[in-house]
Amino acid sequence: MANNPLEAPPIVSLSYKKGDLIIKEGDYGVSIYKILEGKVSVYREAEGEEILLGTLGVGDIFGERTFLNRAADTRSASVRALEDTKVEVWHTARLSREYDEMPPIIKYITDQVLSRSNRMNNLIVQLATKEQKEKANRAKEDPLASKRRFYRKKVDLFCQYQPAGAPSKFNLDGRIKDISLDGLAMKVTRRNTVGVSHATGDIFVVNTVLPNKKTVELEAEVVTIQKGEIPEELDLSMNITDIEPGSRKSLGFFLMP
Amino acid sequence: MNIDPLISAYLADQETYKSGNVIIEEGSKGDWVYIVLEGQVKVTKRTSVGLLTMDVLKKGAIFGEMALFGKALQARSASVIAADGNARVGVLDTRQLMAEYESLSLELRSVIKALITGLAESNGKAAALVVAANKKGHKN
Repeated sequence: MANNPLEAPPIVSLSYKKGDLIIKEGDYGVSIYKILEGKVSVYREAEGEEILLGTLGVGDIFGERTFLNRAADTRSASVRALEDTKVEVWHTARLSREYDEMPPIIKYITDQVLSRSNRMNNLIVQLATKEQKEKANRAKEDPLASKRRFYRKKVDLFCQYQPAGAPSKFNLDGRIKDISLDGLAMKVTRRNTVGVSHATGDIFVVNTVLPNKKTVELEAEVVTIQKGEIPEELDLSMNITDIEPGSRKSLGFFLMP
Repeated sequence: MNIDPLISAYLADQETYKSGNVIIEEGSKGDWVYIVLEGQVKVTKRTSVGLLTMDVLKKGAIFGEMALFGKALQARSASVIAADGNARVGVLDTRQLMAEYESLSLELRSVIKALITGLAESNGKAAALVVAANKKGHKN
């Protein structure tokens, strides 16, 4: 039946769960999809970021670019289901024949629209990537930005710490008394200083578990050391010098007002 | 002046616009499709930070096709203005074009329509990004 051009090929419909990838940028494929139910997002990836090109709903078509652009054989963008989505997959063999035979004027116009559309999408990706970079730079240049958004919180968290680069047997216990994205105050027992330097400028790796059960590991530099309320204790105030993105995110969430 | 025979078969009229004159007005209704025969035209969009030039079209470029094949796009999505000296444009025969378009299967027409509405959306998105970038520039 598939060999008979007069016979319409059976229409295939596919179902996707919310979050499923339907088309992956860079993959091979010429099928055209029509949305029967649901909603999808079309995006391109640039420098690790997803740049949204558009969202499509019931009745809309996607995947037509690889079909229309004979020079390209890979998908120019990814498509993901935003909700449970059902699509109709079109057999493009017959459509392809019709496309090759369509009036030259229509082909002339379609080719122009296609190249303009590609150009415009490249521009969107370029502008959006630039915008994201500038955002990241602004955050870097303006250290107060993070303080504006996140409070310093008073806590009483058990933590373990050790001099940066030391073997793990040097693990010492302490208590974090307050913490922000930039720094923390830690209370330690004077006994910890036996054999381990606790001086201004020392860098410690600090591990703790936040009340929201998230583990945080960071590196912090000792800025001041003061006697605690009781002689057996020392109060360290520290600046965070390094925090891994996952930990930073967890801490950020915890500190959000 | 030599015009592609492919185009001349559909040419209904020719018009000349002086630099800065409006050929298509954003937001207006109309379904004429044009082709640049001589000179250049600018495609512009109105934004909150002023008129934005989205594209410059040269000889052989078609414009106004969105309203005809996009159908859903009732109003013109952008203005087209003659740029840098006189622009000579050809007006294509809408009825003839439409007849060719309607000779296509429903599937192929919906594919072309998807491409055109996609371009209209992309234009809007690109314009919004430019506006956002400009606004930030003013603040800093």
